[in-house]
Amino acid sequence: MLGVSLPPSVVLEGAILGLDYGLLAVGLVLIYRTSRVVNFAQGQIGVVAAVFLVKLYYDFGFNYWVALVISVALAAAVGALSELVLRRLFNRPRVMVMVATIGLSQVLFLFTVFPFIRPKKLYRAFPVPISWTFHVGTFLFSPGEVLTLIVAPVVVIALAAFIRFSSWGLAMRAMAENAESARLSGVWVRRTSTVAWTLAGALSAVTAVLASPSQTSALTEVLSPDLLLLALLAALIGGMVSLPVAFMAGIGVGVVFDLLQWNITNPSTGPATVELILFVLLLGALLLRAASLQKGTRVGERSSWAMGTAAFRTTGTALRKTVGRSGVGITLLVVGLLPFVIGVGHSFLMSQICIFGIIALSLTVLTGWSGQVSLGQFGFVAVGADIASHVGSGIPLVLLLPVAGIATALVSVLVGLTALRIRGLYLAVSTLGFALFMQESVLATPCWTVPLIHRQICSGLPNPESTLISRPSLFGLNLSSEQAFAWFSLGVLVVSVLMVRVWRDRGIARRLIAVRDNEIAAGAAGIPVVRTKLLAFALSGFMAGYAGVCLAFATERFSTDTFSPTFSILVVSMVVIGGLDSIPGALLGAVYLEGLPAIFGSTPTVEFLTSGAGLLAFILYLPGGMAQLLHQFGDLVTAGVENLRGRRRGVPPGDSTEAPSENPADPGRRSPAGAGALTMADP
Amino acid sequence: MTGARPGPVTGAPEHEATATGAARLDIEELVVSFGGLRAVNGASLTVEAGSIVGLIGANGSGKTTLLDAVSGLVSPASGRLLLDGADLSDYIPEERARLGMVRSFQDCRLYPELSVEDTLMLCEDARRPVGVLSTTLQLPWARRAEREKRKAIDRVIGSFGLERFRLHATAHLSTGTRRVVDLASIVLANPRLLLLDEPTAGIAQREAEAFIPLLKRLHEVTDSTILLVEHDVPLVFELCSTVVVMQTGEVVAAGTPDEVRRDPRALAAYLGASDEALNVSGPLAPSSAAKPSADGSSAKPAADGSAGGSSSAGSGGEDR
Repeated sequence: MLGVSLPPSVVLEGAILGLDYGLLAVGLVLIYRTSRVVNFAQGQIGVVAAVFLVKLYYDFGFNYWVALVISVALAAAVGALSELVLRRLFNRPRVMVMVATIGLSQVLFLFTVFPFIRPKKLYRAFPVPISWTFHVGTFLFSPGEVLTLIVAPVVVIALAAFIRFSSWGLAMRAMAENAESARLSGVWVRRTSTVAWTLAGALSAVTAVLASPSQTSALTEVLSPDLLLLALLAALIGGMVSLPVAFMAGIGVGVVFDLLQWNITNPSTGPATVELILFVLLLGALLLRAASLQKGTRVGERSSWAMGTAAFRTTGTALRKTVGRSGVGITLLVVGLLPFVIGVGHSFLMSQICIFGIIALSLTVLTGWSGQVSLGQFGFVAVGADIASHVGSGIPLVLLLPVAGIATALVSVLVGLTALRIRGLYLAVSTLGFALFMQESVLATPCWTVPLIHRQICSGLPNPESTLISRPSLFGLNLSSEQAFAWFSLGVLVVSVLMVRVWRDRGIARRLIAVRDNEIAAGAAGIPVVRTKLLAFALSGFMAGYAGVCLAFATERFSTDTFSPTFSILVVSMVVIGGLDSIPGALLGAVYLEGLPAIFGSTPTVEFLTSGAGLLAFILYLPGGMAQLLHQFGDLVTAGVENLRGRRRGVPPGDSTEAPSENPADPGRRSPAGAGALTMADP
Repeated sequence: MTGARPGPVTGAPEHEATATGAARLDIEELVVSFGGLRAVNGASLTVEAGSIVGLIGANGSGKTTLLDAVSGLVSPASGRLLLDGADLSDYIPEERARLGMVRSFQDCRLYPELSVEDTLMLCEDARRPVGVLSTTLQLPWARRAEREKRKAIDRVIGSFGLERFRLHATAHLSTGTRRVVDLASIVLANPRLLLLDEPTAGIAQREAEAFIPLLKRLHEVTDSTILLVEHDVPLVFELCSTVVVMQTGEVVAAGTPDEVRRDPRALAAYLGASDEALNVSGPLAPSSAAKPSADGSSAKPAADGSAGGSSSAGSGGEDR
């Protein structure tokens, strides 16, 4: 690598970039302190405002300042409204709220498409009220950058003063320390939380208005995982509590990022190296901060990342079980026959859905059972696909699947090692970092030289832009037709489901859940805690790994973008709307999010249903996910069948039904020691 | 990783098989500090094999920390812990559990989302682990192990009268029922040394009374040594063969209930100047008046009523 140079102009440019990260981070922290929510929509709220500002300024000819005030007010209102919508989720599992904010940001994105908000011409210079410029060396700083340099610090200082000196600020600080006590001592928790979201909305608008002039359009990709990751990194360095630290960290991140890009200029490996260094910095920051953050009073947060959805067990009568089994049988039959009916394109889609189903199942194991939130599942999928691209033609498919699975399981365990120290939000962010690192560093670099021993290792995709692999055959069966591959994918999915069912019912799941629910008690009972946590990563990585092989062969031609972290987030959404720890839930989620848009095309209605709005509706009104719906449907069918039988026998309907053990509440004052205790048999 | 524990493990793990029966615990000059605070400050104590030892003391006197140190959840700054004469310092909690040391927790939270059945199966898992690979492939010994585990828990579920709660999530049970589940898992674990942290915390007085015969029976059935932390003084005096009083991390008095009752240091440290504290109310009053007491040290039957008074008097009084 070249010598490191630190030109002042680059440092300043990075700092200006960093001011935006800092503002974003401050917004994230503000919301997290009051409602313990990582708001993935924090950037998108501002984008709506920025787009609206363009509309007002150009289309309606408003004065800049009037337009600014209106759009900031709009963002504040959107912030407040978001809080009102999401409020009922604040006590739910954190991962659910996180996905809800992702849904929110997608809804907000649709907002920017509304004719009322969208300007007629989008790609226009973003308005800037000043025309000042200055030079550092030969580098010219634009008016937009000057504006950022002036406004961002002023806004943050004003915000800090508000929090320091106003009674709202005091209430927010109290809530950050201990929401329960704050509430008991008279802080109006809900209203304070609304105020925080309103402020964060306004702040987001300021961020977008400042960031937009340097972009080509107002539709800044604020949700793009890497940008959000940098802001989250800054917020995490501030411990998700400290506004000043988060802000300064944002500036620091900007400077470091810009300096890295300046110093590492090699066009082929440059971006990969930058990503690698960022990932290492991220992990370092997380590991360093995690130790100090997870002590003391904030320990409670850990548990709030646990799931909170009771597992669905078929506890019903024999008839209920028969209904369930018949349902599975009929579905399998129909799906198995599908490739005969549907065309080539839809057969390809069927393979895709099956593969996404497997990936979703891998997340059910890791997140649903073990409680480890991974935003980087596609990082593991990428490992499997990478292996397929290298040795896919060399070994038979039946061997390749488990081999790739085991290799990915090993990688997964390595990532899991960080989870022993960091968890919850911190783990989520580090897995997101891992997925980005896989995509932009490992896969994007076909070959690299090991520094000390000077040997070349070719670990990336042979051609990062477009790698081509041909489908192998399975026991002599040709898989090259889409129909054949659809059957193959379905077969792999069925085997996966059977495997996960064994894990669920025969002793693996209960260990994972026990360690998730009560690590100390599990340890004291003799369950090896560390090994169990890593086991979750290994099992999940194993599945994601062979799913990656399938995905590679399904697409045949793929690039690094095939493994974008956006898909990781999509898979998390699948599992959440499906039902966090349910096997059919994961599959339903895959069908819903992957299947609906593709089958019905991207008509506005489908887009609305499958994107944010549908996601939000599911999370808000169906906490058990689609699995809950399925379960209720099964109950309904069972009741119907019973009714029919009863009528045939002449028994009035309803009499034959046993009282279902629906009410799990303990029936009160029964002596727990019971009579049985005294007749306790020798074990 | 997936196949890290291959092979059948139908028998007991190696070190468990080496010793059975009640274990003896020696605590020598144990010191545990949190930052500058010495929660346990040079406590020494011998728990004889087969005895029931009650640990009492004000809040913050280091009782729970002592239990935590014994079960390995906190590591002592100095001092030694000996189980049957063998030093425990190299053992992590899981390994101590394998040695037959079983711990119950004050909050008795168990595993909120596991059903009662799974909670008990988990104890069997710890005793007889089956490899992941053999579970996944459902190899014959994995199936057999699962069947045998199920048989074992069926017996315990039956004898504790937990049948109707079998499939309920632990989070949905009352505290009392959770305590019973906890005791059931203790029986399954077949402990040699049982550490109980306030087994009657959070349950009603009447239910707490029912715990005395239950704990005695548990002691007999499992053939174990019991070290018990409890605020319910009458319960401790009724149940334990030895009572140990702790104050600010040190053992200030130890002996049979009668000795401790007369020990001025114990009185000053915890029991209060007069022995009224002993008789505030208590589980002994209505139920055990008719029953012969184990060590002949029955408390004076107090005026009935004021249920729940003893534990709140015990803890509240010393809580500064």
